[in-house]
Amino acid sequence: MTTTVGLVVNPAAGRDIRRLTGGASVSNNYAKRRTAGCVLAGLTLVEDVDVLVMPDSSGLADRIVDDAPSDLDVGFVDMPVSASGRDSRNAAAHFEQHADAVVVLGGDGTTRDVAQTIGDVPVVSISTGTNNVVPTPIDGTVAGAAAGLVATGAIPADEATIRHGTIEVDVEKATGATSIRGLATVGVLDRAFVGTRAILDPEDIVGGVVSRASPAEIGLSGLAGGLVTHRPDEPGGVGFRLAREGATGTRVHGITVPGTLSEVRVADYQVLDDEEPYTFEVPRGVVSVDGEREHEVQDGLVTLRPVSDGPRLVQIESVLERAAHEGYFRA
Amino acid sequence: MVVIDIETEDGQREALRRMLTIRAFDTKAGDLFADGELPGFVHLYVGEEAVGVGACSALEADDYITSTHRGHGHCIAKGLDPKKMMSELYGKADGYCNGKGGSMHIADVDAGMLGANGIVGAGPPLATGAALTAQLKGEDKVALAFFGDGAVAQGQVHEAINIAATWDLPAVFVVENNQYGEGTPVEKQHNVQNLSETAEAYNIPGFTVDGMDITAVYEAVKEARNRAADGQGPTLIEAETYRYHGHFEGDQQPYRTEEDIDIWKDRDAIESFKQRLVDAGTITEDEFDEMKAEIDEQIETAVEEAKSAPYPDPSEAYEDMFNATVPEISQFSSQMRADGGEDR
Amino acid sequence: MSTETTSGTGPADTQEMTFREAIRLALREEMERDEDVFIMGEDVGKFGGVYEVTGDLVEQFGEARVRDTPISEAGFMGAGVGAAATGSRPIVEIMFSDFIGVCSEQIINQMAKNRYMFGGKTEMPITVRTTEGGGSGAASQHSGTLHTWFAHFPGVMAVAPGTPESAKGLLKSAIRSDDPVIFFENKEIYGQTGEVPLDENYTLPIGEANVEREGEDVTVVATQRMVGESLELAEELDGQVSVEVIDPRSLYPLDTDTLVESVKKTGRLVIADESPLSYGTHAEIGMRVMENAFFSLDAPIQRVGVADVHIPFSPVLEDEVLPHASDVEAAINRIV
Repeated sequence: MTTTVGLVVNPAAGRDIRRLTGGASVSNNYAKRRTAGCVLAGLTLVEDVDVLVMPDSSGLADRIVDDAPSDLDVGFVDMPVSASGRDSRNAAAHFEQHADAVVVLGGDGTTRDVAQTIGDVPVVSISTGTNNVVPTPIDGTVAGAAAGLVATGAIPADEATIRHGTIEVDVEKATGATSIRGLATVGVLDRAFVGTRAILDPEDIVGGVVSRASPAEIGLSGLAGGLVTHRPDEPGGVGFRLAREGATGTRVHGITVPGTLSEVRVADYQVLDDEEPYTFEVPRGVVSVDGEREHEVQDGLVTLRPVSDGPRLVQIESVLERAAHEGYFRA
Repeated sequence: MVVIDIETEDGQREALRRMLTIRAFDTKAGDLFADGELPGFVHLYVGEEAVGVGACSALEADDYITSTHRGHGHCIAKGLDPKKMMSELYGKADGYCNGKGGSMHIADVDAGMLGANGIVGAGPPLATGAALTAQLKGEDKVALAFFGDGAVAQGQVHEAINIAATWDLPAVFVVENNQYGEGTPVEKQHNVQNLSETAEAYNIPGFTVDGMDITAVYEAVKEARNRAADGQGPTLIEAETYRYHGHFEGDQQPYRTEEDIDIWKDRDAIESFKQRLVDAGTITEDEFDEMKAEIDEQIETAVEEAKSAPYPDPSEAYEDMFNATVPEISQFSSQMRADGGEDR
Repeated sequence: MSTETTSGTGPADTQEMTFREAIRLALREEMERDEDVFIMGEDVGKFGGVYEVTGDLVEQFGEARVRDTPISEAGFMGAGVGAAATGSRPIVEIMFSDFIGVCSEQIINQMAKNRYMFGGKTEMPITVRTTEGGGSGAASQHSGTLHTWFAHFPGVMAVAPGTPESAKGLLKSAIRSDDPVIFFENKEIYGQTGEVPLDENYTLPIGEANVEREGEDVTVVATQRMVGESLELAEELDGQVSVEVIDPRSLYPLDTDTLVESVKKTGRLVIADESPLSYGTHAEIGMRVMENAFFSLDAPIQRVGVADVHIPFSPVLEDEVLPHASDVEAAINRIV
């Protein structure tokens, strides 16, 4: 029986203003194309794999399919292209029905978009930069091999994946209510605009909720991680609120944006149970999701809840180590 | 020019007003051209308003911009007077260039507007030069070049950015990627998917912003301006946008469909910014309608005044070539005019 | 000897120097006089210019004002135009005029047109220095004489001096001018010497020819290298033919009156210029004389130039195509 692996490569590279304002690294589409080529090469570790690639309008997916190894059957998902995050969600919805594993090349945002519709299909998330929390910065060939092993069932998905948490966001305003979803972090920022999306200034951070916390991460999860460690697959999350000017609080060092080590004062933090709400009254601000400003709020109540219904993320190293243990790599 | 502080509510309303003014001006210009009222070519900025206004809002009054053949929006964004612009479109004596330049050459150097430009890719070297003046004189000024996706393929654009980057000049390069270089889609003209990636070749920051979101353009240019003014050199910003009209008025546009255009109109820069301001209580629907009506009237007045304004005297054709007096021009022009030119 | 010094001429001290040194002196004086003046071009700094014209200027004025550029003629020509439009007074060096094609967009569509297109509301105080001429085995891509292109193209002034003195006086005027001036330097005469006024206020107006030698029988209008060669020839012919030699110095604007006045006196005209003959500088000078002194002409106008070929490499071929005093002599002999 043939196995199908989905491939989502976000072509919207280079949108990070932190290249200008901070130390963000660069991953251009040529690098992504090469990484995708490595993924396809890695998939040839297993046999009888078909690959379906998310189409895009930029020509990146075309190149990936054109350059694919000749012994792989590589085609496109039949879907319209909108050149927005909607594409990742639509592709993932297709993969939810038709794929045995999916490989995502992008950042936290792309992984979140995929997570929204991917259901229980195992996800291999490869970071194409160094500024992400969820995806792993790892060689594409290695990741492709792991994806192939999980997709074919050579390594059972149940034993090789973790269930990542998410954060549910409900915004209630006079003009109506909005719900959005974050994967690793949701923040409330004191800034008027969505603007260039990135979180530029640590001083803007009012607080937030994270589904994972570790000082080894950049951004809000790293900030929370300075206070308490919370693994991505632990239920619940961590909520925190920074002290506003003049107020007292616990001083914490955090890597808030690439290239910036800041000291902030935490007025309150709380380890949250699954679905336990943590709220912010926002006279004027922006809700950020996975490091990107997403939603402008005026006189609103923002309620954040960690929820344990995120994507099943493939643990690449443990998949490969187990495969080696089972003799998979002996030719 | 009046500097807009888009961080304030007044600034936001003014930014909205300028975007509306651009749309009203260029929509009118398109209608007038279709009616045979305007001579020459017109290239309209409708759809791209957030880029010009967002970028110019992030500049200081004394900063320079260079523009393109699609320059009306940049002019209005930089604070030029729509009346004098409309007069120029009509070729009248009271236009910005006394009728000598027309749509593609409107300039107001005193306002920092170094000229619309009929040559694709010619603006960035000029901005590099303006930035060089600022650096040499130690002035706190920045030069911003607007240019299109098509211009990214021009050699002189590469040269200009390379020079500015190598010399750490206070310049900002803004690519208005409106998806088509004349009648050919951007992906058929460039091997990179994001034009901002070319910044890597110059070892300067480059990134892409949503050119339909004025706040994104503003914020990006603001940061780039700060960096430039701080002596750290130029930045390349790609703003993804869309022109609703053809390359020029009369373009039959076989290269795209109505549906292609609608995808972008759904994200219209003015409509979405207005909605955000309404949601935030910065402006009411009624105030918006009032603002729009005022602007429409202002443009109508500009057209009426331009129509009734006098043409330049034909003898003006022989003025303005040089600051110095050149005998050839007076001698040859009087010869030519003696042959009947005067009575034409 | 020229008398067209501007008012305020100081002491009449002169010094013998080369054409190259006269240019460098003009650059130095103008950079001392006005801090908005700066030089940019390829290898103009520490290298001192490929023909050693800028020399030690970088030591006096620093790398910011004597600025080495990347090999990007379009880019730095455009930067010169942008700098000129915003209050600087740039001097852009294009190493060989043959390279001007690379940046001609910025010259013809920006530099030459901005003032006019903008209704006279901007100035363009830029000077472009470039080299011309064959004679050094540089072959076709480094030996051309292109000044006719720019003397023809409206909106720029084209200056091509033939002596060290006029080089100094005219370059200073070019730098001070609020209009774009392209200054053509024939590289074969960089080492030619002459007396040059040391007065830092000494300038020569652009658009005035100079009668270098008075004569009665024939007028030789000579440019650049041909000025010196024609003067030597005139001395040789002294006693047989009385030759008047005029250096127009500025090709656009062109001092028609001085040329016409001379031809009215001599009745005969030879035009010696190193550019190709068709549709050229010779044609324009001849036509101006025809228009204004037709009935004074006693013989057909003679043209001495390059016979519509490029400058070849082999010394034998190069020598063949370049105009020399012998060609001027032959032309004189045809009509006198």
